[in-house]
Amino acid sequence: MRVIVVGAGEVGFHIAERLSVEGHDVVLLEHDRQRLREVEERLNVLAIEGSGAQAERLEEAGVRSTQVFIAVTDTDEVNLVACLLAREYGVPIKIARVKSIGYTTRGAVLSAEKLGIELFINPLEAVAQDLINIAGHAAAVEVAEFAEGRILFVGYPITEANPVCGLSLADLKDLRTMYPFVVAAITRGGRTLIPRGDDLIQAGDHVFLVLVATDLPSVRYLFGLDQREVRRVFVLGGGPVGFRVASHFERAGLQVRVVDADRAVCEKLAEDLGRAVVLHADFTDVDALLAEGLGRADVLVAATADEETNILAALLAKRHGARRALSLVDRPAYVSLVPTLGIDACVSPRLSTASAILKYVRRGGVLSVATVEENQAEVLEVLIDEHLPWAGSPLKAVSFPKGAVVGAVLRRDQPLIPTGETVLQPGDRAVVFTLPDAVVQVENFFGTA
Amino acid sequence: MNIPVLLKVLGALALFLAAVLLTPLPLSLFDGDGAQGSFLGAAALAAVVGGGLLAGTRRARPELGYREGFAVVTLGWALFGVLGALPYLFSGHIATPVDAVFESLSGFTTTGATILTDIEALPRSLLLWRALTHWLGGMGIIVLGLAILPMLGVGGMQLFRAEVPGPTADRLSPRIQDTAKLLWGVYVGLTATEAALLLVGGMDWFDAVCHAFATLATGGFSTRNASVGAFASPYLDAVVTVFMFLAGVNFVLHFALLTGRPRKALANEELKVYAGLTVAAVAVLMVLNAGSLYRGFFENLRYSAFQAVSILTTTGFGTADYELWPAACQVLLVLLMFVGGSAGSTGGGIKVSRILLVVKHAVVQAWSLIHPRAVRRVKLDGRPVPDAVLQGVLGMLALYLIVTGAGAVGMAALGVDPVTAVASVVACVGNIGPGLGGVGPADNYAQLPQAGKALLTFCMVLGRLEIFTVVALFFPSTWRK
Repeated sequence: MRVIVVGAGEVGFHIAERLSVEGHDVVLLEHDRQRLREVEERLNVLAIEGSGAQAERLEEAGVRSTQVFIAVTDTDEVNLVACLLAREYGVPIKIARVKSIGYTTRGAVLSAEKLGIELFINPLEAVAQDLINIAGHAAAVEVAEFAEGRILFVGYPITEANPVCGLSLADLKDLRTMYPFVVAAITRGGRTLIPRGDDLIQAGDHVFLVLVATDLPSVRYLFGLDQREVRRVFVLGGGPVGFRVASHFERAGLQVRVVDADRAVCEKLAEDLGRAVVLHADFTDVDALLAEGLGRADVLVAATADEETNILAALLAKRHGARRALSLVDRPAYVSLVPTLGIDACVSPRLSTASAILKYVRRGGVLSVATVEENQAEVLEVLIDEHLPWAGSPLKAVSFPKGAVVGAVLRRDQPLIPTGETVLQPGDRAVVFTLPDAVVQVENFFGTA
Repeated sequence: MNIPVLLKVLGALALFLAAVLLTPLPLSLFDGDGAQGSFLGAAALAAVVGGGLLAGTRRARPELGYREGFAVVTLGWALFGVLGALPYLFSGHIATPVDAVFESLSGFTTTGATILTDIEALPRSLLLWRALTHWLGGMGIIVLGLAILPMLGVGGMQLFRAEVPGPTADRLSPRIQDTAKLLWGVYVGLTATEAALLLVGGMDWFDAVCHAFATLATGGFSTRNASVGAFASPYLDAVVTVFMFLAGVNFVLHFALLTGRPRKALANEELKVYAGLTVAAVAVLMVLNAGSLYRGFFENLRYSAFQAVSILTTTGFGTADYELWPAACQVLLVLLMFVGGSAGSTGGGIKVSRILLVVKHAVVQAWSLIHPRAVRRVKLDGRPVPDAVLQGVLGMLALYLIVTGAGAVGMAALGVDPVTAVASVVACVGNIGPGLGGVGPADNYAQLPQAGKALLTFCMVLGRLEIFTVVALFFPSTWRK
């Protein structure tokens, strides 16, 4: 499949990298020569100098035979024009990154449908949604929903105090008859591994589980995770992301406090929000925030425009008793730093955007996609086709791709957690966890490539 | 101030009133009550005044600004009061000009306070004129409250600018006319409905029309000495209670309800508070009255609800002498006199929405003491209330209380007993009618000194025009060229 990516910024670079690893023909357009050279050195893609809004450049990139066109430069207008050009060349799937809310709100004068573009991705919306998912599940570092929310994919940090710490997966196996779940992956020291029976769960790991949503409370109990629901939310920064997160939790009926250092921003928030309390304070003004209950917060979401502030604020909040702290961090160098600092999770607009786009591109047989820990792994939801060569054999008998595992199956709308004896049937929907280099094999295996 | 254009508008208003003065004429001729001369004379005088003003101001530049707006509203009401007093004077049923103007302005401001000791002694044509002054006043108030005062920014009323769909015009005046026509349609429709329901309940057409006029305007002039109580019918009490309540609702909401947008109307915060307040007031009165005066739940409900709604909406009809009720009931009713109806209704008083905003503001202030860093906005219907509106509301509240206090001192200085002095001013500034003491529901304003009646007449106009409108005219700069 030929894919054109316009803009080699953080998002474009990341998407190009992922798609090329998965074996697609990727053409990257970038007008900045310095950046272009970097791409050529690091990625196995065709890099062309020029703007995506120029028809000649697009023809040069082979736009006529392209299936997917992704415009992710920093400028909305360039992305839109590039997609409109691609539409004229008959590209079937066109995706534009659009920052302005004016295009994505309901009733927009120029909406995606009117422009004939398949998908608008707003990085701020994408990242706000990720923050909401993680903040809403107590103690989770990662959350994704499959099969309309009936199957969950959750990541939890493991501490010394955790009852499963030091156990091997084989030890857990006995427990699993009572609490059905699959340990899909463990990340340790920045690496993701698909565990086998003799692998031990260690302190500092993040374990990733696939489970049926209704079993969540008992599994959380097994893992000794705090049963308390999220009730008190602190949001630092009243910008677009902070506002979205705050208004989501306000609507969910939680106790929300939003903090911003800018008086004008606070006034605007006070107008747009309802019950949420808007505080005009500096993030480092700990006394004022403690007086407003920061120490009793179930979760703190640091979502200011300044990532250093977010990291510091999350650390301060943890230090003063907030149960969990999430921060919005964009710089790749920081994204990998954050978990080592004791901040519970970090979310990056660029990575959120990239995974939202990848999710869309991989449709077809793949119903849904989620990414794990800076895209070190992915979770796919696939539909089982009847023409597969291994149909009718139990899972332990088929040569399943290495680096991948079936986490859950949705059969006739009933979620079930598979064992080695499980036989996948046509019409089943399988939730598959896979490392990046196994994505292509998994897609071949399920015939969804 | 563009005085020629001001006089021109007043002239047009006088001509309009001259035409209205002729409406009771057929009834007068039919009854042969001898009052036809008074109406003809009054209409002629009004026509001469109007014609003269128009003729003298033909060259006026047609520019009506803010300052002219204040003057037209206040002087227009005063002019109606004076010209409308003429039939009472000419017919000889009211002896002094002060009394006649009091009765006339009590009608046009929809107050309903009367200096007549025997209402039933008046010919039907004059009683119809009394009811008509209410009804016209009510029409004026709807436009005043939803179009003119919002435009002038009086007392935070800019928040209640009528949002009636219609042809969008850049200029404001055609917009006001369109708005007025739609809202008047609702007003006329509600009046006709009530009159029909009263007819069904056994009133004759004359009583039905007069009471419907007085109800929808939240006026309170009855054709009987014993007010609505004279009809001794639970059904009629119920109809009047319901329509008094409806008249105290913002007419824009009636319009929304009638044009198939019930959700918008019923979600209105002021309406909810107004309804809640009414229910609460009725409940408290019923508890306090239970066991002493009324036998049985329904009798208690009938009388408590009627008086509570009548006072809260500032109508002033009566079916019971609440001065015989426990003292707590009387104090509660006086408090309700301050509240009044909703903004954009024909009711007087401070208005429910203003009280609501002041309470919300106070709550935010108190809450901010324990959350010093918090930023919080007062909201109404989920939308933030601009500071200018809050300031207008607070200013209006302050002026309202100052005017009431000063008026009460003035009345007392004229030799009126303290309870009557306070109650008469509260009842007149709030455009209610009956008060307590010497001006209670079983009494009237006849025995007050002439100077006191003049003072109360001024209070009625002040209260009706939201105080600021009148006060604005006392600044010399209003009148400068």
